[in-house]
Amino acid sequence: MRKVSMTALILALILAFSQCSFADDVKIGSCIYRFSDAFMLRFRNAMSAETEREGASIFILDSQNDQTIQDQQVDELISSGVNVLIINPVDRMAAQNIIDKAKNANIPVVFINREPPAEILKTYDKAYYVGAKAEESGTEQGELLAAYLKEHPEYDKNNDKKLQFVMLMGENGHQDMILRSEYSVKALKDSGIVPVQIVGAIANWDKLQAMNMMNAFIMSIGSENIEAVIANNDEMALGAVEALKANDYNKGNPEMYIPVVGVDANASALDAMDRGEMLGTVLNDADGQGKAAVKLAAALVSGKDIKSDIKSLGYEITDNRYIWIPYQKVTRGEK
Amino acid sequence: MAEIKTSRSKRLFTTGGIAFLILGIALYFLKAPMGLNRKIYDLPVFLIIIGICFALKGFMAKDKTEEEASLAGKTFTEFLTNNAILLAMLVLVIVICILQPRFMQIRVALDILTQSSTKLIMALGICFTLLIAGTDLSAGRMVGLAAVISASMMQTATYANRFFPDLPQVAVWMPIIIAILACMVFGALNGFLVAKYDMHPFIATLAVQVIIYGACSLYFDMPPNNSQPIGGIRPDFAQLGQMRLLSGIYQGFPGISILIPIAVVICVIIWFILNKTVFGKNVYAIGGNREAAVVAGINVFKNIMGIFILASCLYGIAGVLEAARTAGATNNYGNGYELDAIAACVVGGVSLNGGIGKVGGIIMGVLIFTIIQYGLQFINVSPMWQQVIKGVIIAVAVAIDLTKYRRK
Repeated sequence: MRKVSMTALILALILAFSQCSFADDVKIGSCIYRFSDAFMLRFRNAMSAETEREGASIFILDSQNDQTIQDQQVDELISSGVNVLIINPVDRMAAQNIIDKAKNANIPVVFINREPPAEILKTYDKAYYVGAKAEESGTEQGELLAAYLKEHPEYDKNNDKKLQFVMLMGENGHQDMILRSEYSVKALKDSGIVPVQIVGAIANWDKLQAMNMMNAFIMSIGSENIEAVIANNDEMALGAVEALKANDYNKGNPEMYIPVVGVDANASALDAMDRGEMLGTVLNDADGQGKAAVKLAAALVSGKDIKSDIKSLGYEITDNRYIWIPYQKVTRGEK
Repeated sequence: MAEIKTSRSKRLFTTGGIAFLILGIALYFLKAPMGLNRKIYDLPVFLIIIGICFALKGFMAKDKTEEEASLAGKTFTEFLTNNAILLAMLVLVIVICILQPRFMQIRVALDILTQSSTKLIMALGICFTLLIAGTDLSAGRMVGLAAVISASMMQTATYANRFFPDLPQVAVWMPIIIAILACMVFGALNGFLVAKYDMHPFIATLAVQVIIYGACSLYFDMPPNNSQPIGGIRPDFAQLGQMRLLSGIYQGFPGISILIPIAVVICVIIWFILNKTVFGKNVYAIGGNREAAVVAGINVFKNIMGIFILASCLYGIAGVLEAARTAGATNNYGNGYELDAIAACVVGGVSLNGGIGKVGGIIMGVLIFTIIQYGLQFINVSPMWQQVIKGVIIAVAVAIDLTKYRRK
């Protein structure tokens, strides 16, 4: 069944491309590791929209979270005549295969969302990566909190000129957990705040665990001694918010407010922010990344000199092959 | 001799209780003038409560016969081993109170009871499957299923990312019933596999566990939700898990979480089912000796189906309450709950060989577990150490349990 539909799709692809074959037409072939991923859904939509704006064409395939399927799809895309690839690898360590295929066909390849190791990426001069730097989510989170604290010096409940905070961390050893925990605190320090972590707990990205832990902290440390909560993701931040609400905090009374920050900008977090229960979050900018990936792909096909002339593309290329899209701070009132 | 001994134990409880009571009352009035408010918190109130309990126990205790009394004297070391876990917990509580006096607050006790409530409901469900010498590995995933289903239909109309964008604001009871029914369908599947094919419950419920998680993930992944955590829960639904009764009857009283009375009611119902109904007697009979139960004319198929369906109904309730309490749900809710529930049952004296177990014991088991877990979190013991300690408790509890039966 899958074979049949795949063949049909490829046929449709070939037909579509053969109908409009100008020499420098941008024909993008793309594979997404799994269509049902909410983040990649937004990514895909952004790519489609940008392709339309560029007047190019794009075909996006679902790799169904299977690297073997993705490898086949890349072969099929290349033989159907695309002139640039945008690949969201299933397994970032398996990118060599895809690079080899692109090299053989002599077409550029842009990796997105999951960053292949640098030593693999540099084996082909037309391989690029568009994504966000993981540590930046922590930095932005810290800056967002710092900005609030500067405007609200009353946060310092014990007047010791330090920020006593609770850190709720994701799964132990996860790259995002390590980088976000480290860089959020670093950003606070850099903006002149003296952060003191009273307690750091691993809540495994989980709302329920975070809620139970936060509850215990409110009892053991005392809510009057907690001046902020930093969570590695929004779900844990929301767990902390529920625990605070159960203790009559963050319900609208400015006297009873503890700022809580997360990362992801998921719908529940935005909702909580609208109600003033949560201070802010950081958005991994799917729209911006999707747009940049397509722009880069189009520029590569048309052979623009993007490396020396920054303005022609609108994005800065780092180390000859990276475009970093910044995370975005989201606070109350914005959406 | 024996006469003196019995009255001594009775006197011990009575005088001890009254001593606690007097100390508590004294501290209650002295703590403010002595500046101990921030050092002992609500300790006096706890002392008063403990005092009343002891004194009542002393007054109510019957004079034991000579034999029983001498037996009680002989088995003092046995008493220690039999209650090792309880005693270890008491020591831990005292240590925690010294390290972090904030532990001695009424609100902490209430918080522990609140966190115990859903666990207790789970444990009461799983105890039925343990009573027939089985187990139920699908319990945790059923909690997740019930949480996701109920939360998905209980979102506010204005929420940006609704699971069912066109769903009207339905009555609160409807999604709850649907969620519990969904769990009961899988419970029936458990029961069917075990009863019809005589499959070992470990394998049958393992298979169903995987099926439930898959099904729940599929549901959770449906567009437009696409595996995003469910949020924007309606306040009237969240109240089911967050409402506080009697809050503010005096200054600073945080109120009793509604989960506590819910758990109490369920305890009473389960106690009644286990002790006062034919079904309950059948459960013990099948667990004690299955062949004998068959010979005695008990319909094993029907009873096993009943056990798994009743258990899944309780998991469903626990799942709905978890969703309400946290005002949200993901397909990962309830992951691993079954092991905590089984462990609490075992610590509470439910035998894995079937046929032995009481509601009172399960309540104790759940409370012991929650107090230890909460207490360790309270003094900020590393989660890795918490795991080690939890494991040791389970091993010790089962070891004591087994030696107890060997002695008999």
